[in-house]
Amino acid sequence: MIELNGVSKSYNGTYKAVDHLDLTVPKGEIFGFLGPNGAGKTTTIKMITGIIKPDAGQIRINGKEIGVDTIEAKKQFGYVPDSPDLFLRLKGLEYVSFMADIYGVEQEVRNSRIHSLAKRFDMLDALGDTIQSYSHGMRQKIVIMGVLVHHPEVWILDEPLTGLDPKSSYTLKEMMREHADSGRSVFFSTHVLEVAEKLCDRVAIINKGKILFCGTFPQMQEHFQSHESLESLFLELTKHE
Amino acid sequence: MNNIWLLTKIMLKNAGPLWKSKKGSGWKSILLLVAILVGMMPMVISGAWFLSGLYDGLAMIGQESALLGLGLALVSFTIFVLGIVYVLTVFYYSQDVEHFLPLPLAPREILGAKFLVALIYEYLTELILLGPLLIVFGIKSGAGLVFYLYSILLFLVVPIVPLVLASLLVMLFMRYTNIGKKKDRFRLIGGIIGLGAALGFQFFVQRQRGSMEDVEKLQQQILSGDNVLLNLATQLFPTSKLAVFALVNSGYLAGLGYLLAFILTTGAAVLLFLFAGDRLYFAGVMGVSESASKRKKVGGQDFAKLAKVRSPWWSYALKEWRMLWRTPAYMLNCLLPSLIMPVFVLIPLFGIQERGELITALSGWIEGMGGLSLAIFFAGSLFIAGMNSASATAITRDGQGFFLNKTFPISFIQLLMGKLLPGVMMSFISILFLLVAAAWFLNISPIFLLICLLVALPGVVLINVLGILIDIHMPKLAWTSEQEAVKQNLNPLFAILVALLTAGITVVLVFLTQSQGSLLSVAVMLFIVFSGLDFLLYRVLVKKGPGWIEKIEN
Repeated sequence: MIELNGVSKSYNGTYKAVDHLDLTVPKGEIFGFLGPNGAGKTTTIKMITGIIKPDAGQIRINGKEIGVDTIEAKKQFGYVPDSPDLFLRLKGLEYVSFMADIYGVEQEVRNSRIHSLAKRFDMLDALGDTIQSYSHGMRQKIVIMGVLVHHPEVWILDEPLTGLDPKSSYTLKEMMREHADSGRSVFFSTHVLEVAEKLCDRVAIINKGKILFCGTFPQMQEHFQSHESLESLFLELTKHE
Repeated sequence: MNNIWLLTKIMLKNAGPLWKSKKGSGWKSILLLVAILVGMMPMVISGAWFLSGLYDGLAMIGQESALLGLGLALVSFTIFVLGIVYVLTVFYYSQDVEHFLPLPLAPREILGAKFLVALIYEYLTELILLGPLLIVFGIKSGAGLVFYLYSILLFLVVPIVPLVLASLLVMLFMRYTNIGKKKDRFRLIGGIIGLGAALGFQFFVQRQRGSMEDVEKLQQQILSGDNVLLNLATQLFPTSKLAVFALVNSGYLAGLGYLLAFILTTGAAVLLFLFAGDRLYFAGVMGVSESASKRKKVGGQDFAKLAKVRSPWWSYALKEWRMLWRTPAYMLNCLLPSLIMPVFVLIPLFGIQERGELITALSGWIEGMGGLSLAIFFAGSLFIAGMNSASATAITRDGQGFFLNKTFPISFIQLLMGKLLPGVMMSFISILFLLVAAAWFLNISPIFLLICLLVALPGVVLINVLGILIDIHMPKLAWTSEQEAVKQNLNPLFAILVALLTAGITVVLVFLTQSQGSLLSVAVMLFIVFSGLDFLLYRVLVKKGPGWIEKIEN
């Protein structure tokens, strides 16, 4: 569960990247965070994950406040950043087990998770190679494995589908569904609207640091009294201002 | 030509300033820079003093221009050697190359811009090497304005020919050994060969040294053409003679002639470079960032080894350790210098003819001095720890990926320990090397060595923690190539300075308070004082560290 209360962040004292954001992502839900480029999606995710500090407001993950109970809050989530070009000199397996160490995953659990994840993502043959030799999609997959190896309560992903082939993309979406169905939460940002429309239980649309709409897709259609696709509604919402 | 300027500007901007200062703390950087300059003053002053002595001697026999010849030739040679490293990293191994390759640019345009970038780095080196010489010569010879004008012009032109030579060499090598798939291994071997060459050069200089220290002897050698080093340098760069003639005759029309001739030769070299570059560069650079993979399943035993459970900070340290050794730029810049250092220290021992006597004298001195010799050894350990920039670049090396650290559920202290351990270990290994070598050459008692090692520990930890502190406050995270992270970064230099300062203060304090002190009393005192400092610093870090890390936003 993620709760944001009155969260704001401005750069250079004037430019408001995120402006008084309120948001709740309950357990068992896939939540899509949509918005045009530069809308404040990544800034919001960085505040939730403790990378940057909000100027105002509170952020709680499973009830633990990130600015106060920092380490406990960080144990609650797994984060997939938008660029997977990290730890390139490590072998895939070294990276995943590094992540398992950081999150304190026990030996037996870790072994079986690594095996099953590698199998699902078709990475069994790549674990012994350095991440540098991976393609973009494979790097994305190893980062996702590094997160799922510690089985986080809350799963936060920044543009996770970029660069994945259709099969891996399908697998990832399947995993997100399983994750939510097992009573945990998934929060992800995207600008692929079809994915959001099909996958998400609820979406929020953010533009210029403000949330324009938050709810289910049918609610959105109801709200605007139209039966247009998410794409048209999205374009409509973000056009003005 | 326009494209070359454009590219140069972009490359320089992309590389960013030498160090990143946070908003409103510009004074901090300025203060540190001033500290560096002050720290280097003694070196510069003694250098100038040596040069002016040499000038006086040569002037008596009317051969003072030989000094300029020596200087220019040596500068050219140094720039050539450094140039090989710069060209490799700037031309071939900087990540921006891949962005330029698809653009509709001629190889010579990319090369021209990269050449200018490398040239700017070389100017910095030249400033330290040639600046004092030109000024001393100008003042001593009472030269006129034209001399200084020529000096500035020559200063700008002199490094071009050596850099062209270095470029041609590297481009040829890269063209015909396009071993892109094994680029890391190549970098490693290349770097080791480079270091070997540097070592050989050092050895070579040392053999000359007996005479170098003696101004008169050196003068004789310069005049009689006996000095091998000088001969080598002038033979490699014959054009530097033109530059010397231009300077010496700056008062006459002939000087202008020589100057023009020098500039023309340099221009021809540049044309040759561009011509060769058009034919060699792309063939060598394409595919240089590919890396090999096996695509084989990881078997049971290997799997168990790699996936073994470790505590978070230990796992973090292991990760750092692996990245340090596997990234050639890090290995060459952070690890090797401190390993090589002890060897460098020992080489003079080989070079000196009366070695036996010296060793006996040294051994006797060490035994006789008691506590002070321990303090001096301790100071040496601090210096070696400072030479090792693993800690002073620990934050910077994470680059744009640093933010990920902040999402990990580990305490600041665990992170710090993980980052600290590789540096401390490497420093300690270097010191062990030095000790073993010292024990072998000088007959020092094992107990003395053991005490040295024990006492060094808190000192080494202190220097490494200070290194990380420097890097936490001024990390340079926006780098585009690993070389940039460790080489175009002033933090390692600050760390060396801090180490030198600490070492100096320690020796002076021990000398003042414990000059009669026994070995044991000095050992106990050093150990207690430095452990105390470590503890104090630890308290400060526990309290302030998390806030500092939080402030790093990229």
